[in-house]
Amino acid sequence: MTEAVDEFEFFLNKQWSDGFPVVTPTEARLETMLKGTRCDPDEVIGSIPPAMEKATVRTVAIHALMAGCKPEYLPAVLGGINLMLREEFNMNGVQGTMHGVAPLMIVNGPYAKKIGIHGENGCFGPSFRANATIGRAIRLMMLNLGGGIAGIGSATIFSTPLRYTACITENTTQSPWETLAVSKGYLDTDNVITCAMVESPRLCFDDVSQEPDRLLNGIADSMVAMGSWNMHARSDMVVAMGPQHATICSKAGMSRADVHARLCKIAGRKVRDLKNGGNWRRERALGFPIKVNPDDDDFFIPAIKEADDLQLMVAGGWGPCTAVCHGWSGGSKAVHGKYEI
Amino acid sequence: MSKGNPERSDLVDEFEFFLGKQWSDGFPVVTPTEERVQWMLGGTRRDPGELVGNIPPAMEPATVRTIAIHALMAGCKPEYLPVVLGGMALMLREEFNLNGVQGTMHGVAPLMIVNGAYSRKIGLHGGNGCFGPGFRANATIGRAIRLILTNLGGGIPGVGSATVFSTPLRYTACLAENADRSPWPSLAETRGYKETDDVITCVMVESPRLCYDDVSQDPERLLIGIADGMAAMSSWNMHVRSDMVVAMGPEQATICSKAGMTHEDVHQKLREMAGRRVGDLKRGGNWRRERALKINVNPDDDEYFVPVIKDKQDLHLIVAGGWGPLTAVCHGWGGGSRAVHGLYSI
Amino acid sequence: MANDLGFIDPTAGGGRAMVALAPRPMDLAGKVVGLLDNTKEQGTLILETIGKVLQEKYGVAKVILRAKEHYSKPATDSLIDEMSKEVQVAIAAVGG
Repeated sequence: MTEAVDEFEFFLNKQWSDGFPVVTPTEARLETMLKGTRCDPDEVIGSIPPAMEKATVRTVAIHALMAGCKPEYLPAVLGGINLMLREEFNMNGVQGTMHGVAPLMIVNGPYAKKIGIHGENGCFGPSFRANATIGRAIRLMMLNLGGGIAGIGSATIFSTPLRYTACITENTTQSPWETLAVSKGYLDTDNVITCAMVESPRLCFDDVSQEPDRLLNGIADSMVAMGSWNMHARSDMVVAMGPQHATICSKAGMSRADVHARLCKIAGRKVRDLKNGGNWRRERALGFPIKVNPDDDDFFIPAIKEADDLQLMVAGGWGPCTAVCHGWSGGSKAVHGKYEI
Repeated sequence: MSKGNPERSDLVDEFEFFLGKQWSDGFPVVTPTEERVQWMLGGTRRDPGELVGNIPPAMEPATVRTIAIHALMAGCKPEYLPVVLGGMALMLREEFNLNGVQGTMHGVAPLMIVNGAYSRKIGLHGGNGCFGPGFRANATIGRAIRLILTNLGGGIPGVGSATVFSTPLRYTACLAENADRSPWPSLAETRGYKETDDVITCVMVESPRLCYDDVSQDPERLLIGIADGMAAMSSWNMHVRSDMVVAMGPEQATICSKAGMTHEDVHQKLREMAGRRVGDLKRGGNWRRERALKINVNPDDDEYFVPVIKDKQDLHLIVAGGWGPLTAVCHGWGGGSRAVHGLYSI
Repeated sequence: MANDLGFIDPTAGGGRAMVALAPRPMDLAGKVVGLLDNTKEQGTLILETIGKVLQEKYGVAKVILRAKEHYSKPATDSLIDEMSKEVQVAIAAVGG
C-alpha cells in the first residue's frame, strides 16, 4: 500500500489532525451534509482565532463531515461555533493558553433529543456519535482554521482529553428539575446551546449521603482546590449532578435554584488555607469581582464569584456520582443562545 | 479534496457502516481491508493467529490479527502495533481487573504510560498537550485499546458498562514522559527497568485534574498545592486502596530537583502530605465506617490522618507536559485494580 | 472475513454460544435458596432480609449465604459449582 495515495494517511498526516481518521470529504458527501442546514453555504460565520481562517457554512460542513457528523447534527455545530466566537467567550485566549480547558457544549431542547445527543449513562465518554462528532467538528475547526495546535498556536502544557470532543445534553428523563436553559429563561421548546470553558470532569462519588446537606458538602469539596483557577480568578464551572444525587435534593424539597445557591455559598476556602499552596496571590484576590480581604486569614473565598458562573445541570446515568468541571483563568465567560434548525 | 472511492460507497458507505456499529466510539475508522490489515501486521513479527487473551466481560478472543484490525481502524501506523499488543496483554493480567472496570459505575480508563527508546522512535508524545488531541501515536494507540474493549469486550455504556458519566479519557489514554526535560529517571527506571527497556505501565484512572501554580518557587509550598489536588472527599483514593498518577510538568519537577529533591524524595513527600483527617472526611463524600476499618483507619479518631496513597507502589509519579507551571493529577478507581507494568517486545 | 462489502467487518460475537436459562420453579416451598453477596456494603443486610421473607412467606426450606471474593470480580467457578449443587434457586445482590 502506498501511503501517499491512501485517503486515510493523507488526512492523518495533516498537521491539524487530532490523530484520528476522518471521513474522506468528497463533493457528494459534502452535498449530503449541507442538506442538514437551510443556510447559504457561502454565509460567513466568522474567523477562528488565532489564525483567523474564515469559517463559512460550507467549511463548517466540511469539518462536520470529516468529524463523522450526520447532516442533522450540522445545526448544532453551526450554532456552537457561532456562540463560541462571541467576544466574551474569548476563543483567542483559550486557543493560546498554557492551561488545558475545552469549550464544553451543553445542548438543551427538543432538537438535541431528536438527533440523539446523549445525556445519560456515559455521556462524557465514547459510544455516542452525536456527542463525539459534534464536539470533534468544533475541535477540528479550532485546529485547522484556528491553528490552535499544541506547540504551535497553543502553549497548552497538558491539554485535556476533553479537547478530543466536548458535547453533552442533560438527562431530562430522570432530572427532577428544569433544564439549564430553562433556568436561564428559555422555553422548554427552545433549542439552546450553552458553552463553558472547562477542564475534564472530576468525578465525585457519594453512595453514602441520603440527605442534601452532607451530599452537597462532598460536591462542594470537589469544586475547590488550591491549584484550581476557580479559587484564584472569576471563572466558570460546570457541575453535572447525576440524577440520583439531584433526586436526593429534590426529595428533600430543594429546587434547582436552591442547590445552585447552596453550592455557591459553601464551596470555597479560607484565605489561610489558600495561602499555603497553589495559585494564591494577594493581587489576584484583589482583582476578584467581589469584595475580598486578603489579609484576613478567616476570610472565606468562594469558588463561584458570580452566581451565573456556575452551570448546574443534571446528566449521567443512575448512580451516586456527580461530575465537576473546573474553569479557566483567562477571562472567558460562558455563552448561551438559541440555534437555528 | 480527495475523490474517495466511488465504487465502494455506491454499495454501502464504508464510514456510515462503521459509525452505525454499537461498539463505535462515535468517530470514523480507517476502513479495514485485507490489504490494509496486511500492512498493519507488518508492524509485528508475531503470528497473526496467536491468542493474546479474551476481553471481559463478553470474552471475545483478541488475537494478534484482531488486535491489528482494531489498531488499523483506530488509525495506527504499523509501527504502533507492538505497543497496542503490549498494552493489551498487560491489561489482561488478573490484578488489573479489566472485568471490573468494564462494568463499573465509575468513570476511569486504562491510562498507558510508555517509557523507553521505542516510544520515542514512534513519536509517542510526552510534551506540550500530551493529554489531548494532535498526536497520532497517543490518540490511536489509546483508541485501539478502547475499540477492543467495546467490540471484543462489550464495555458499552448501558450495555456491558454501568458507567454513570464515563470520562473523556475513554476516547483514548496513552502518553509518554517528557524525557528531554525531566530532571529524574523515568517511571520505568524507578521500578528497576533499564533506560533502554521498552516498558508500559497501565493504571486505571479518571481524567486529569489540573493543578496550576505559578507562584511557588520552592518545593515545600509547591507540593502542598499538588497534595491538595490529590485529596477530595469524593475521590476513591481517600476511601480505599487505589492507584493515582501524578504527572508533574517539567517546570515544577525542576523546582524540586534544583532544591536537591530526587524523584523518590518527591514521591515520599507527596505520600506524606496528601490526605485528610477523619473529621473532615465524615462531613461528605464516600466516607463509611466499614470502609475506614478495611484500610486500618480508626474511624472514631477525628484527628486521624488518612493518606491518599495507602501503599507506596500505588503512586505513579511521572514528568510530562510542556514547560509551564502545571501538574496533572489522575485519581483512581475504587474497585480493586492494581496498576501493571512490564516490558513489551518490538 | 472477506465479504461482498469490499471490506472486513470485525464485529465480534460471531462464535458466541447462547447460554440457556435454567428452568424457573413455579413455587419456592421446600426449596433451598442461595443468596450471593457481591461484598458491597449492605448487600448482606438486603440478602438476609430477603432470605427471611422467603422462608416466612413462601415456605423456603433453607437459605444459604455466600459472598464473592470482590464485587468487581466475577464469582469463581468453584463457588458457582458449589452453590449449584446445594441450591435450586439463587439470588445475587448488589449492595452499595
